[in-house]
This record gives sequence, structure tokens and C-alpha cells, in this order.
Amino acid sequence: MAKMELSAQEKKTLKSMFWNSGLVFCGFNMVKMEGNAFTCTMAPAIEELYSDPEERKQALVRHNNFFNTHAVLFSFIAGLAYALEREKVTKGSVDDDTIENIKVALMGPTAGIGDAFFFNCVRVIAAGIGIGLCAEGNLLGVLIFVLLYGGSQVVARWYLLKIGYTMGTSFIDSIFSSGLMTSLTKSAAILGLSMVGAMVASMVNVKLAWTIQVGQTSVVVLDVVNSIMPGILSVALVFGLVALIKKGVRPVTLVLGILVLSVALAFFGIF
Amino acid sequence: MIQSALLVMLAWLIVNGVDRVMSWQTFARPIVTAAITGLVLGDLTTGVVMGASLEAIFMGISAIGGSVPADACSASIIAVAMTILTGVDTETGLALAMPIGTLMATVGEMYKPVLASLAPYWEHLAGTGNMKSFRIQTILCGLFVDRLPQTIILFLAVAFGVEGLQSVIGNLPAWVMSGLSAASGMMTGVGFAILTSMIWDKEIGGFFFVGFVLSKYLGLGQLPIAIIMAVVAIMYFYNDKKLLDAKTANAAAASANGNNEEDFF
Repeated sequence: MAKMELSAQEKKTLKSMFWNSGLVFCGFNMVKMEGNAFTCTMAPAIEELYSDPEERKQALVRHNNFFNTHAVLFSFIAGLAYALEREKVTKGSVDDDTIENIKVALMGPTAGIGDAFFFNCVRVIAAGIGIGLCAEGNLLGVLIFVLLYGGSQVVARWYLLKIGYTMGTSFIDSIFSSGLMTSLTKSAAILGLSMVGAMVASMVNVKLAWTIQVGQTSVVVLDVVNSIMPGILSVALVFGLVALIKKGVRPVTLVLGILVLSVALAFFGIF
Repeated sequence: MIQSALLVMLAWLIVNGVDRVMSWQTFARPIVTAAITGLVLGDLTTGVVMGASLEAIFMGISAIGGSVPADACSASIIAVAMTILTGVDTETGLALAMPIGTLMATVGEMYKPVLASLAPYWEHLAGTGNMKSFRIQTILCGLFVDRLPQTIILFLAVAFGVEGLQSVIGNLPAWVMSGLSAASGMMTGVGFAILTSMIWDKEIGGFFFVGFVLSKYLGLGQLPIAIIMAVVAIMYFYNDKKLLDAKTANAAAASANGNNEEDFF
């Protein structure tokens, strides 16, 4: 990959994105996870690229979707999304769905890499050095831990943001010039949808506690349902929600509906 | 004890606050948390020394997959505070701290639906296009609102003791707890449903189930699934490219033929 010279404006935006990308855990919730932080991180890019206030608002809402990955590799995806947004505005070769698909496709794998590298490798090394010094009451142990573990994350976050942006720009350029944009969108969607399926399997959980008394024996409904197809309730729940969203039901109604329904059903021993 | 409780709460806010704006999991690690708690309570050395053993204890407990078996941060704060304030040793301090970790996990579970119900508010706020206010509210939420019940518990635990708190939680009807925990398991589904409805495409929709089966039935992690599906996606991409190349070649051949015929006649 040829080294790309960043313009002053691009540098400014990337810097501002970098500071915002520190907010990964702020406003974290079960519906959006890191979505709020992603909106904050994309805001400088969107403010630079979109001049029309309406388009700007739409782009911000687009980036307020569910998002979840490792806190450091987060910035790589943000850099890539900045490159994609630029392509969308300047050449019109990328559409909203492609950006969303690429984001979704990358969050699972980057989360795995980030945890393996930072949490299971750098942290253990830094803690190993730190513990030795701290046990003797040496404050240096704490400082070394913060510098090694925290410092490496900050540095990595900045470079990953830049790499994501430059890689995204050169990659999308070559794809666009060969006219393969629709193929790329489709293949990104394949990866994205399968990752959503995998995440639904591991993260969405319908905790049915319902048992029916049939004469002397009690039947655990969850076991019966899972013997038909494990996890079928999670799939049914998600597609039920998809159908409701397509009908125009607002997410707030869904969230509150789930809350009220589960507590009410728990009263009757179903959850 | 009220004054100490306020100081402990301050230590908690500092370590969590720094981690939240730096997207770290560094200050909330026992080794740093213990030192800061020690500093706030006026006995830095005890904090640093205890930090070493606490970090070693919590080293193996990882947060991968979003599940935290015991809250290392709050347990460390309580352990250090107990040691400094009452003079017990590290092990006893930690034993006193452990129920707090469980209590926090329980209350955290109950608080999740509350935070989740804020999601539409955030979306509305993003839709106004006022990024400055969005950013400030996100930061304030991260500093104070995200872990508000945990902050209050920590304060109450140091100020009034652990036993009273446990009995309060123990007196809640069981169905409230199980209902709330069921709700937080299903709320994640809303986020995925929004995503699915955005990227759904009839032609490739089946891949949702491929991912589901790989994860649920074969028990594969995110990374192996991503690698398998990336191979499939790349194959799809190159097949599509071949089709496109063939189409352009055909079109070129056809137009070339057309020219020849014109010349011929």
C-alpha cells in the first residue's frame, strides 16, 4: 500500500475522532452497547463531510446503531467508517447499507483479537511486572502498569484509527474503479449477517423458567423447546422484533414492552 | 464512617471515571484501584502492597464475552478500605468485600433494563444533530449514571455495613429479580433486530442461520466464525467478479462483432 499523505483537514478530523474514541464505555447499554460512543467518534467526520443539516442528522442516527467490539480496535472500524463516509459523499460509490455491513462484519473478529492481545497478553505482562514492584510497596509498580497497559492502548488506538482510514480509502478506491461495489456490498452483508446470527446465538437469551405439571411429572418448557431446536426462542424473538420494527414500532416501545412483559410473566412463574 | 464512605465513593468515581473517558480497563484493575483507594484514605503504601495481592487474585478472572464473575474493582476498594479503616488483614478484607461483589452484580443486572430504556432517548438526541450536547451527556452518563446504583451501594456498605444491604436485597420478591434478569437477556435482541432489519437481503438472508448454527450448535467463538464466513464472502466476491468480467467481455465481443458486420456490409 502506497503511503498516503493526509491533508490538514483530515488530520484535524482524525485527531478529534481519536479523543472521542475514548468514550467507548460511556452511555453503554444492552440495546446499543457502544453505539453512543460510535456516534461521538463519527461526529467530527460527519461534521466535516456533510454540510446539509438534514443529511448530517441522518448520518448521526445511522451511527447510533448497535455496536460492540474491543475498546482499542474500535478506532480501526471508526477510521474505516470515516473513509467510507468520505467515499459516499465525494463519489457516491458507497451506500448506507455497505457502511453498516462492513461495521457489523468487523466487530466480532476485532473484539476477539483485541481481547486476546490486550486483555490476555499485554495486561498479564504489565501486571506481572507491576505486582513484583508493588509487593515491596513501590509505587513505581502502579505507574509501570498504567504506562504499559493503558499507554499501549492509547498509542494503538491512534495508529489503528489512522490505519483504518488510509486502508479504507485505498481499498475502496480500487474496488470502485473496478466497478465491483455491489459485489463488495453483498459479500460484506454475507459476513455481517452471519456475525449477527452468531451474536444472537451467544448474547440473546430467553430465560424461560416455565414448568407445567402433567399428573405427577413436571415438564420444563424450555427443555422441550430446546429439544426441537436449541436457541429457537432467541431466533424467534429477534425475527419477531424485526417484524415489529418493519411495521414501524419504535424501539422505545419494544424495550419497555419487553421489560413490562418479563416482570409480569415472571410473576406467573413463566420467566 | 460517613466521611470515609464519601472518600471511598470518590475513589470509585475516580477509577471508573478515568477508565470511561480513556476507554481503558486500566484504573479499574485492582493494582491501580487499590493504590488510589489507599491514597484517598491516606495510606498509600498499604494500598500499593494490597494492590499486588489483589491483582494476583483477580488476574485469572477475565471479562471476555461481557460476563464479569466478580467485580474486581469494587471488591478491591472495599477490601482496602476495610483494612485501612478497621485494621483487618487483606484476606479478611477481601472476604468482607466478596458479598459486595455479588450484591453489585445483582443490582447491576436490575439496572441494565433502566439503561437500556434510555436507548431511544440517545437516538432522538443524535437525530437533533446537536453533537455538543450529545457528547456532554454521553460523558456525564458515563461518569455518573452508568454505575449509579453501584456507587450508592459502595457508599452504603462502608457507611452502614454490609449485612443491612444484603437483607434489603434478600427481601425483594424473587419474581422481580428473575423478571428483570430475563428482560436484560432479551433487550439485546432489540439492537440485533434493528441491525438485521437494516442489512437483511432475501438472497443472502440464510447466512444469518449459518452464523447462528456455527455459534450455538458447534460452539465456535466469534473469530473462527468470522474466518469461515470471510472465506465464503471472499468466494462470493470473486464469483461475482468473474460474472461481471464475463459480462463485460461478452459486451465487448458483441460490440466488436457488430462493427465487423457493419464493415462487411
